[in-house]
Amino acid sequence: MNDKNCPPNSRQRVAGVLRRMLSRQESVVFVVLIFEILLFSAIGRNFLAPDNVRNIVRHSVEIGLLALVMTPIILTGGIDLSVGSMMGLCAVAFGMLWGEAHFAPWLAACAAVAIGTAGGAINAGLITRLGLPPLIVTLGTFSLFRGLAEALTGGSKSFTDFPDSFLSLGNSLAFGVPVQAWVLVVVSLFVWGLVHRTTAGRAFRAIGFAPEGARYAGIPVGKRIAFAYTLAGAVAGLAAVIFVSRVGEARANAGTGYELAAITAVVLGGTSIFGGTGSVYGTLLGVASVAVLSNGLSRILSISDISRELSGMLTGALLLVALAGGALTKALAERPHRSKPADPVNSESAGRKEK
Amino acid sequence: MMQKYMRELSIAFVLALLLLALAVFAPNFFAIHPLLSRLTAQSPALVAAIGMTLVIVCRQIDISIGSQFGMCAVVAGVLAAKGMSLPVVLLASAGAGAVMGATNGALVAWLRLPSIVVTLATMVTWAEALRLWQQGRLLDLPAHVKWLSLGQTAGQTTLVVFTVVLVLFAAWAMRNLAAGRHVFAVGNDAEAARLAGIDPQWVTFGVFVLMGVLMGIAAVMNIAQSPQVQPTCGDGLELKVIAACVVGGVAVSGGRGGLLGVFLGFLLLANVNPALTHFHAQAYWEKAIQGLVILLAVVADGVCSKLPNKAGDSKAK
Repeated sequence: MNDKNCPPNSRQRVAGVLRRMLSRQESVVFVVLIFEILLFSAIGRNFLAPDNVRNIVRHSVEIGLLALVMTPIILTGGIDLSVGSMMGLCAVAFGMLWGEAHFAPWLAACAAVAIGTAGGAINAGLITRLGLPPLIVTLGTFSLFRGLAEALTGGSKSFTDFPDSFLSLGNSLAFGVPVQAWVLVVVSLFVWGLVHRTTAGRAFRAIGFAPEGARYAGIPVGKRIAFAYTLAGAVAGLAAVIFVSRVGEARANAGTGYELAAITAVVLGGTSIFGGTGSVYGTLLGVASVAVLSNGLSRILSISDISRELSGMLTGALLLVALAGGALTKALAERPHRSKPADPVNSESAGRKEK
Repeated sequence: MMQKYMRELSIAFVLALLLLALAVFAPNFFAIHPLLSRLTAQSPALVAAIGMTLVIVCRQIDISIGSQFGMCAVVAGVLAAKGMSLPVVLLASAGAGAVMGATNGALVAWLRLPSIVVTLATMVTWAEALRLWQQGRLLDLPAHVKWLSLGQTAGQTTLVVFTVVLVLFAAWAMRNLAAGRHVFAVGNDAEAARLAGIDPQWVTFGVFVLMGVLMGIAAVMNIAQSPQVQPTCGDGLELKVIAACVVGGVAVSGGRGGLLGVFLGFLLLANVNPALTHFHAQAYWEKAIQGLVILLAVVADGVCSKLPNKAGDSKAK
């Protein structure tokens, strides 16, 4: 009996594994990414040329960094709207320290990261110590940080003429890859390890599922949440330095709208906006698919001047589609459970899966 | 009684102090014509604050209103430039707002997505779509839109009186109409509201649609004041309005708040920037101060809600 059932069983198992893989949003994004690359390399001009690939990488590093550190925050069921504004503040601080206080670029960069860390700690303190909703706290700091950046520069001043050694961070290659990509690799490995290989990573998910339950399970909820927001601030400072070295100019509007792009990448990558589930590689796939889409479209349409609006619009629309799609598949996945007993074949396989 | 209106009283006190300081140090602040102009300029945002109060009381948030405002203003401007009459323009603008509000509302109510993410996405989508459409052009407006073709003073007075009447009506309706109480019920506890026979999804949807319609009306009130339509006219509006609500004592956790507090909070915030310029401070600080005020208000809420829970239980029950 068992021997007879073995072949269909294994086939079912393979089918089950496949179905589970396909139902994971990470694999959907992966398929979408491959499809995008095939499509654009077929109809776009020089899409896969090394220069263009490097261009895509260069333009997605800052958003990638923000998306990486946004992942643990969203895993805990929180959100950080202030990272883009934080980039603006850190960029201005970096420019001022270099241009007016005559710090060495590396020292100014360290100071920018320190300011980012402090800003993140402000968010963390307000959220964990006073128990305020992350949404409204980071909405407040979103306005506060950008406002400080504008006030410091008087609304219009910007800092330029950075030394070539600093600009090479954002514009030259190391081992055939843009220099800043290595920063992204290092931070990716760090965040991946944090989320997938430590108890802190488990704690993020547990908090996202049920904060009270996590507390009863002995998880230091406040400390873990505070760490996630502080890390986001620090990395936003790092992203600001990379942004300035790529663009060659430190302005108050650095990173405007980046928080949305980062959240979009995280949600596209399969991290639930309600917290509890998600993965770092999903986030990286999300970043890549958004970057490839906006670059590919601007290549096809060969429009450079309006590509910013277009990619912004697409980011917003993509986020809506990803959210709606996720919610709809969840609703559809819950529905067949009720109708299953009516179907003998399906009910049999469903019964097996439960064992 | 005093306890119940603590928030309103304290805002009124701070507002009175600010106005008193202005009266002493900058008496021309209260000259009638500039005052009327300032009030008129602020009235669209106050109309938006009515909608935002309902949205936040319903335990949601809408940060796409700035983009909605810009989009409605441009739609109204384009139609007005084609020679449409004012009622048609108003209807179209409100309709455009309703469509955008319905998009938010449907996604939030029936797909149960968090409103902050949905409206963040629609905020960017509408704003960038508008930029793509208008390419930063300024639209010239025909003469019949200017001051609702009433002349400046009469037009200004009409707009201000209309706003005040709308605020009073909304304040009354929120307290006394069944629909208003439903919003509070859903914001307090959607499940309990459902068991009491209210459909929380329709209430949420309706609140977002109403927000959109109000933005459409506010957009027309805005273009009536200027010779041109700026596609960026709604930038930062959401923060200003949310700040007014939070300062005015609307709880972001839903179910609590009133328009009187929002009205006072709005006046307080609206006077900060003119006061800054009157005292010769830089205007660049506006955004930073707004953020700081939001943070201070939520911190005050957080601290207050912690204290009375220990001390005030006997009072409450």
